[in-house]
Amino acid sequence: MLVVICIIGAYAYYRQLRYGLVVTAMRDYVSWGIYISNFVFFVAISLVGSLITAILRLSNVKWSTPLTRIAEIIAVSAIVMASLIIIVDMGSPEKFYNLFLYGRIQSPIMWDVIVITTYFFISCILLYLPLLPDLKILIRHKDKTGSGLNKLYRFQGSFWKGTKEQFKISNKSINILCILIIPVAFSIHTVTSWLFATTYRPGWDSTNFGAYFISGAFLVGAGGVVVAMYVFRRYYKLEKYITELHFDMMAKVTVLLALVYLYFNVNEYLVPAFKMKKSEEAHLSNLFSGEFSLMFWFAILVGMIFPIIILLFKKGRKPLPAFITGIMVVVGAWFKRYLFVTPTLLHPFMPMEDVPLSYKHYFPSWEEWAIAMGSLAACLLIITFFARIYPIIPIEETIMEQNEELEHAHEEV
Amino acid sequence: MKNLNMPMKKYKYNLVLSSVLLLMAWSVDVVAQGKAAADKPIFKLSYFNVNNSTQYLVFESLMRTEHSVLPQIGKEYEIFLGDTSALVAKIITDKHGKANAVIPPSLKQAWEASSQHIFLVKEGDKELISDYTINKAKITIDTTTADTVHSITATVQTLKDGKWVPAADVEMKLGIKRLGGILPAGDDETLTTDSSGTVTTELKKLNLPGDSKGNYLLMAQVEDNDLYGNIIVEKSVPWGTVPHYNADFFKERHLWSTGRHAPLWLVSMALFIMITVWGTLIYLVFQIVKIKKLGVNNTA
Repeated sequence: MLVVICIIGAYAYYRQLRYGLVVTAMRDYVSWGIYISNFVFFVAISLVGSLITAILRLSNVKWSTPLTRIAEIIAVSAIVMASLIIIVDMGSPEKFYNLFLYGRIQSPIMWDVIVITTYFFISCILLYLPLLPDLKILIRHKDKTGSGLNKLYRFQGSFWKGTKEQFKISNKSINILCILIIPVAFSIHTVTSWLFATTYRPGWDSTNFGAYFISGAFLVGAGGVVVAMYVFRRYYKLEKYITELHFDMMAKVTVLLALVYLYFNVNEYLVPAFKMKKSEEAHLSNLFSGEFSLMFWFAILVGMIFPIIILLFKKGRKPLPAFITGIMVVVGAWFKRYLFVTPTLLHPFMPMEDVPLSYKHYFPSWEEWAIAMGSLAACLLIITFFARIYPIIPIEETIMEQNEELEHAHEEV
Repeated sequence: MKNLNMPMKKYKYNLVLSSVLLLMAWSVDVVAQGKAAADKPIFKLSYFNVNNSTQYLVFESLMRTEHSVLPQIGKEYEIFLGDTSALVAKIITDKHGKANAVIPPSLKQAWEASSQHIFLVKEGDKELISDYTINKAKITIDTTTADTVHSITATVQTLKDGKWVPAADVEMKLGIKRLGGILPAGDDETLTTDSSGTVTTELKKLNLPGDSKGNYLLMAQVEDNDLYGNIIVEKSVPWGTVPHYNADFFKERHLWSTGRHAPLWLVSMALFIMITVWGTLIYLVFQIVKIKKLGVNNTA
């Protein structure tokens, strides 16, 4: 199914390359359409790597250990697709090299390119280093993994012997990465928010956008992890490792993040709506009661308020309801990114002169939908690819922690 | 009891999931504008007289849907002068739903015979516009300069019984032609002609950039007037300044300069951050190499 969606997306992209960006519905008004919404969504969901791996690890939270690899795989997959979708948005991919020839360090777009590359690199190392002890285990089980994969594991980690020195260097490196990834993760989404906030337009003209985007990113990332946890747990029968406790804890994290994000939303919409400046009136009315109102209230209610209500109850934090809520969060977040981009572009402070009426409305063409959905499917395919090759749970770390817990329990007894 | 509750719980969750999916579909549908609404056609005919020498008609065909107004593309219409025996033009609307028509030489006599004309628009046998009436009118612009103060006088006249007479109470714009429209010459956005058909204003917008010789165009425009339609007249005056472009401006270090002329503080800050972060990453890559070496030595 995912492959079919990807192929349709690839065909749509072929049409875009052949006929140009004219096959999209993007015109002078909405020049950033569904592609940029998707880009912001991917960047947002990729932040989960830093949340689960780095922040919880540095806070000495033990329960999150089995979830770290899921989070890192999501982060790497999402950041890869974020980079690709921005090239799709450029229209002619061969223009990309111009960014290096004539790139301006003054432009937030350049900052985005730098910080995305950096984040991708950090996420890859953060995925690789904790994988080394697991590779050793996988190499030992050649009969189960097959010779093809065994060659890959040997190439990647045959040098890992699990010596004290190796563990020492590895742990130190992981700690450095965990510290480094937090400011880089904050930068990646702050810079993405600045692509909007440094542009003087209704809905984007805010000093709060960095924090607003980061809080939203953590929320969608947490929602994504809950969904992935449920799927992997069921598919790979991991009930022993991803327990109800993990769902309960992740659900609590999600509630906290949803509340923080809701707070920022109140600030971003209620304060301008209270003043209702003439120049922003059309934009805000369009969101609250106009053309985009259903999508807006869907994003607020399904993406934030309903999840908060459901997850506040213990029954709501059980695996299945948490999974459904995770889907709600992710879907709501996708529509929220659409709302960041399109309505604002339709209402500039100074309307353009003499443009066709059709330019004043935007609904993505089938090619845009196909490419956007294809990119989402490709992201899921990359996640699936990783999950099929590598253990989705950090085996060594989880076993060590379970042993530590047992020893601790014995000592207490 | 627990076992009995299980299917019920599953049913509930399926219900919730279905509701979410329904809401999603609903939300997407909202973006697709104006599908279900009753459509209403809009037709508009406008007469233009440019510089008292070029007269033409613009016909616009639109369709109002629930959420938007869409142009009617590729539609055929006929425009007539007076009655259906005098065809002005057969027109086909373009991608903006618009089509232009010039009065043909065959209708010159009929056009000059009267000071007032009625235009009709038909689509097949259906009459869409039957009473678009135009009185012939013209504008002249005169300028005077006294003690460096420039004054502009525009006079609107209409043809009556073969003679040009002043047209009073005509609202018009008088100003300088700019890229986005007319910049009012005086303080008022629009002016209204007096009984002698004239409006006078003093030029308040001084030192405006002109062309390479310092010329710019004065412009008088009557817009969508019920009697006279659209009249536009331009006159070139040497009142502008000769623009002087400082080519060196973009060579200085500014936020708006090219990449090679970025401010030093920004370049140094960016470099500092990049060197710190990528320096650490390179260090970590070396650590991985170190782990590898340790493993290889251990095997040996």
